[in-house]
Amino acid sequence: MKTIAQAVPFLAPVQILILSVIVIPSLYVVWLSLNASTFGQSPTFVGLDNYVRTLTDPAFLHALWNTVLIVVFAVHLELALGLAMALLFASGLPFRRILLVAVLAPYAVSEVIAVAMWRFLFDPDVGPVTIALASLGLPTLDWSFEPSHALVMIGLLTIWLHLPFTFIILYAARLAIPKDLYEAARIDGATAFDAFRRVTMPLLGPAIVVALLFRYIFAFRIFSEVWLMTQGGPARSTEVVAVYLYQEAFRFNAFGTAAATAWIMVVASLLLAAGYVFLLRKQVVGNAH
Amino acid sequence: MSAKSPVNITRRHLLGTALGGAAFLAAGRSFAAGKTLNVLSHKVHQTVLGTGDGDLLKDWRSANDADITWSTFDSNPLQDRLFREASLNATEFNVGFMVDNRPTSQIAAMFEPLDDYLKKEPIEAFDDIAPGLVQGMTVDGKLIGIPVRHATQGLFYNEALLEEQGITAPPKTLEELVEQAQKLTFTSKNGTRVTGMVLASDLAVFPVMFARAFGGDFLTKKFELVPDPAAMEKGLTVLRNMFESGALPRSYATTKNDDQVTWLQQGRAAFTVLPFARFAQLNNPEQSKFPGKIKAIEFPVSAALQGKTPMASVVEAWGMVIPANSRDKDLSWKFIREVSSKRVTLGMANNGNGPVRVSTYKDKSFADKNPVAAVEAAALANARGAFPPFPEAARAQSIFLEEVQLAVLGRKPVNEAVASISSRIKPLLPPA
Repeated sequence: MKTIAQAVPFLAPVQILILSVIVIPSLYVVWLSLNASTFGQSPTFVGLDNYVRTLTDPAFLHALWNTVLIVVFAVHLELALGLAMALLFASGLPFRRILLVAVLAPYAVSEVIAVAMWRFLFDPDVGPVTIALASLGLPTLDWSFEPSHALVMIGLLTIWLHLPFTFIILYAARLAIPKDLYEAARIDGATAFDAFRRVTMPLLGPAIVVALLFRYIFAFRIFSEVWLMTQGGPARSTEVVAVYLYQEAFRFNAFGTAAATAWIMVVASLLLAAGYVFLLRKQVVGNAH
Repeated sequence: MSAKSPVNITRRHLLGTALGGAAFLAAGRSFAAGKTLNVLSHKVHQTVLGTGDGDLLKDWRSANDADITWSTFDSNPLQDRLFREASLNATEFNVGFMVDNRPTSQIAAMFEPLDDYLKKEPIEAFDDIAPGLVQGMTVDGKLIGIPVRHATQGLFYNEALLEEQGITAPPKTLEELVEQAQKLTFTSKNGTRVTGMVLASDLAVFPVMFARAFGGDFLTKKFELVPDPAAMEKGLTVLRNMFESGALPRSYATTKNDDQVTWLQQGRAAFTVLPFARFAQLNNPEQSKFPGKIKAIEFPVSAALQGKTPMASVVEAWGMVIPANSRDKDLSWKFIREVSSKRVTLGMANNGNGPVRVSTYKDKSFADKNPVAAVEAAALANARGAFPPFPEAARAQSIFLEEVQLAVLGRKPVNEAVASISSRIKPLLPPA
């Protein structure tokens, strides 16, 4: 007991920090989500009405669908690319250091700059990439007109921006696999594919789950790529949940529905990532034993 | 080799330097002005007041022993921040700039009524400020803001491109405008792909202008929603046909207000609709490939209305407000009085501000310096806001734009889009 009392002053700063920046704001958002509130108007208790309104709003459901599409496709494609690149780098690539810098560079670019750059490169009239694709007779991305093309463009942009994160986790994990295991596998007659299936993948498993979990959570709150590229248009067809929330809070000043949207986002992203959380927990418990 | 470090800093030196520095900084404050006025505005509001020798508030600062600290934002974030500040218990901001389609009864209640200030310390020739703009800042019978800037929309065209296509005069009717825009969708002699017209798709201004050219409207001051659906359909059909024929760019749905300026400056578009105050920027030799060649006229009405109904261009006005929870409101009022004076209004107008005083347009120096002054004054005489303020105005505008985009891009028949505008926005309007 005495030990706990002595430890409290040392732990207090962390607890206060968590309480003040996470717990109290979260509780405030819960309270806000149960009230109708805007500028110049006192909050009025409305129960779960904001949640019902949000969940029955076709614009929200469409935004949720777009978000799930982007998360599922972009995150898994990014993982496949990150894994392929990690294995390529680990196999001994020439000019590895320079190539590493090139691969990691997008992570150092501000999202705003990245979107401005991509908008210019893929401009439907004068974009160098559009012109190059057209001159090669290849189809171009009509992202400013076709919603499906716009979603593809947003997906590609988010993969380009976040690939370094997935890559670095997988690359570090791959380098940590002892060479002896590959040697043993080779002596046992394993082909390169067998070694990948029986050695690399099982040992990369925990790193893959961590990368996927983080990327699921990050990708679910995707905002700047969409907002700066299309602002959710044309006609709200590329809107994602975070953009919907922004519109409710800062354009329509409907703080109640915005707060409800925020909590729905938290629950939806947890549900989407639940499988991976379960896997991670299983691995942690397994390692502990 | 000496063991002593070449940079020999002792604790005593460090402490001494720190104390000395702090004392110097503290002394520095004594040379600064005694008071600070914090202003929340758009960058353009600060820019038009000038800097250095051209600072229009130079004398005011020294007379009131006050410094002005500006915090500037883009329009929507600015309004959000202003309302957020005004809803707190107290704010550091003394003066804010508010656009005239935002002050609802609830919003107006967060700002200081200015009628008593006006009686106590009147603004120079207050009657000279356009009464329509003053009315826009009067809510529930209380004056909550003093108009400071208006942005009246006009039709800009690139005279060089018109000449290149053998067009000798700008359009006089909307039909002529469409015809010319289609003719001006071509590749110019210098190899630039020109689009007839460029418009941003995220502002209600443009579809409203096209509807008004046929005598229609989006939402009137009396909250009549789409009072003439046929006129709205005609306006949207024109935009739809222009998009289909390429006279509006393929990137219409992602075009922003700033794109309109750069497209016109670079000769990528022949026509656009922008506030007259953009005239100087569009013709700025440092930015524009066509300085002196970009002209402006009033937006034309359709042939059927020509000579019968004048064009009601869209005007957006800004007013200066004092948050009710701010400090030193007397200093705020002194600032507002000075900015509203005839001298500063003229100075700001010369710097590209839409002047709110009728007398400014009559001033010879302004007319000489600003070739579009006369046409702007004429357009302003019949201009009105895109829609009146009401609590769900932002959501209503968003729905309107969504339906307009669907119609223009060909994803929804125009008549269905117009019907949806009415049915979806009606529940958002204030009760009659």
